[in-house]
Amino acid sequence: MTAATASTTRRPPFWRNVRVLRVVVQAVFVAAVAGLVLFLLDNVVYNLERRGIPTGFDYLRQPAGFAIPDSDFRSTQSLGDALLVGVQNTIKVALLGIVLATVLGVLIGVARLSTNWLVRKAAAVYVETFRNIPVLVIILFWYLGVMIRLPPIREAVEALDLVAVSNRGIVIPWFDQVGAGAAFGVVALVAVAAAAGVWAWRTRRFDRTGEPHRRGLWAGAVLLAVLATGFVATGRPWTLDTPEVGELSTSGGFRLAPEYAALLVALSLYTASHIAEIVRGSILAVARGQSEAANALGLSGFQRMRFVVLPQAFRISVPPISNQYLNLVKNSSLGVAISYYEVTKVTQVSIAQSAPAVQAIALLMLIYLAFSLTIAAVTNVVNRRLTLKGRA
Amino acid sequence: MNVRVFRTWTVCVLLSMLVFLGAGCSLGDDDDNGGDEAANTGETENGEAAGQAGGGNLLQEVQDRQTLRCGVNDAVPGFGFVGEDGEPQGFDIDFCKVVAAAVLGDAEAVEYTPLTAEQRFTALQSGEIDVLIRNTTYTSSRDGTEGARFLHTTFYDGQGMMVRADSGYESLEDLAGETICVLSGTTTELNLESQFQALGVDYTPLAFEDNEPLQAAFVEERCGAWTSDKSQLAGIRSSWPDDQGGPDALVILDETMSKEPLGPVVADGDDDWADAVNWAVIATIQAEEFGLDSTNVEQGSDDPEIQRFLGQPVEGEPFDPGLGLPADFAVAVVSQVGNYGEIFDRNVGAGSALELPRGLNALWTDGGLQYAPPYR
Repeated sequence: MTAATASTTRRPPFWRNVRVLRVVVQAVFVAAVAGLVLFLLDNVVYNLERRGIPTGFDYLRQPAGFAIPDSDFRSTQSLGDALLVGVQNTIKVALLGIVLATVLGVLIGVARLSTNWLVRKAAAVYVETFRNIPVLVIILFWYLGVMIRLPPIREAVEALDLVAVSNRGIVIPWFDQVGAGAAFGVVALVAVAAAAGVWAWRTRRFDRTGEPHRRGLWAGAVLLAVLATGFVATGRPWTLDTPEVGELSTSGGFRLAPEYAALLVALSLYTASHIAEIVRGSILAVARGQSEAANALGLSGFQRMRFVVLPQAFRISVPPISNQYLNLVKNSSLGVAISYYEVTKVTQVSIAQSAPAVQAIALLMLIYLAFSLTIAAVTNVVNRRLTLKGRA
Repeated sequence: MNVRVFRTWTVCVLLSMLVFLGAGCSLGDDDDNGGDEAANTGETENGEAAGQAGGGNLLQEVQDRQTLRCGVNDAVPGFGFVGEDGEPQGFDIDFCKVVAAAVLGDAEAVEYTPLTAEQRFTALQSGEIDVLIRNTTYTSSRDGTEGARFLHTTFYDGQGMMVRADSGYESLEDLAGETICVLSGTTTELNLESQFQALGVDYTPLAFEDNEPLQAAFVEERCGAWTSDKSQLAGIRSSWPDDQGGPDALVILDETMSKEPLGPVVADGDDDWADAVNWAVIATIQAEEFGLDSTNVEQGSDDPEIQRFLGQPVEGEPFDPGLGLPADFAVAVVSQVGNYGEIFDRNVGAGSALELPRGLNALWTDGGLQYAPPYR
């Protein structure tokens, strides 16, 4: 008995102390991984140097030499600037793509559960078509099959002098600043502030009296009224710029390049099919009793969706949908196939024009990592705000 | 309990050994680095990377492997394309065969790797291919920063501009405001920009990775002009589909926008391999100078210069220039593939659909630039 107590109170030597060993093993593991990475890095740098290939990131300051369509980029600017233009182009297609894919995806996801046979089946056909075709094929279809098969520029189709469609781009009217832009900017700020005020007032009134608030209607009307008055008061600083079709290109308006349009449409359609499935699954995951309760309360079909089902479904769907956003950003790199100058295309061209491949690709990976982490961070914030607040 | 602790301990020891191994390797590497500068023979130190990157004795490696890995184009008629029988053929392909015939004695012992313009130098640097013969222009920055070594120019080319015959364009200035298609990652892309900058002509570039989407864009008039090396344009024009109006629907403008010397490229750092490839190519030109072709090369000659070239015994001993090639490599090259003139005519010259004139690619004796250094 006494011998046993003695043996448990005596401290074991440190190499048999589990607490010490735990720390040591982890430290050694980290050191091993770090050592391996350093060894590989050293190996790469050594071999690059031996071949006379530059090892640093100084190449970013070299003049690019190539031009980038649809940008202000000049070929005398540096490779670093070219990469920035690429990043901008990626953002351009990703942001709008995310918005379009979400709107379309939610609509189709809800339609998948419609009680109307035709709507339900049409949505199912859409989802099964786009979900089961590789996104690259969809992109190529929209570019080679649709966009460049639009009429050539000299046969451009014009509708009401507002829209011009040819395979050099789809042009829509856009605003053109002709007068005091700054003054109108102030007006716009005032309009937004006034609308927000009205919104808050209607909400308070609703809380107090329970009468329908119709805050969207009220705020929208105020916004438009202030904007319209301000527009006239500041001397009409913007005009509508309509497209003019020239012999070789169009001028005026806002031009959607065929490459951009094809990539945007393809990515949106493809991602929407995945989002639709997530939305459908999330709606089905909301307990049936919830909609039954909504029905019992006498809510209309729209109200049931808007106030009871969708808010709960939305909460479930945020993490998987954010995954789809990440996929969309990554899939935008397929723009290389149709000559859209997003960041991967710019990197590829830079490498071919003598930027060192190892560094350029490493930088490219970092850029995508930054994109993904940003999206993940944003959706995490949204997710945290939406999670059920327990009383823990 | 005891057993678990013992296991943890073993893992611990193994891992720490790993760390020391890693450190040991990088230390060893540093030593190599120092030794490399001192000895700089590029023989033993490079052994480590030789297998992957061709930094060592690639000539020996190719001979051991018994195939040559050649990086080529597969979409340029006349130069590198897939023929009706499904086999690669063309001017550049024939030079792959020339190298294989010289090094291995068998012109067919070639493994072709089709590459895009953007992949080609990476493939060469990584050792995926032994030699790159893919209408690649020799420029200073490629020589300097791509880790590439450019060898004897097989084709002196220049950049041209192709437009539709019905477009009415006659010069580069006429193209103001036009959209111009080009392959991305090429010198052509850079020349296009600098030429039009210099001319002060505004244009929109549209750069594709491959010829197929580019051709689709040109057919659909997404772009109004197509710029590339004149030889390539001639090849594309010659095979222009009849439903698009055939070759006559297209015109190549007279202007030459740049110098484009095209030739084989090998990775930096293996001089023996570079010499072997270089002299295999030069042998075709030398053969044409000597009047040797695939029909008469095996008959030999009494001329001691030709005998030396063909590796026949001169005063009892076959001449060995020390290139590491078989003494009679020139016989293998010319009998199996042909001399420079034959290769040219068959693929791009009078005997082909392209019907390109020899021009700059004539022998120096005929006023061209093809000139073989003396074989002695």
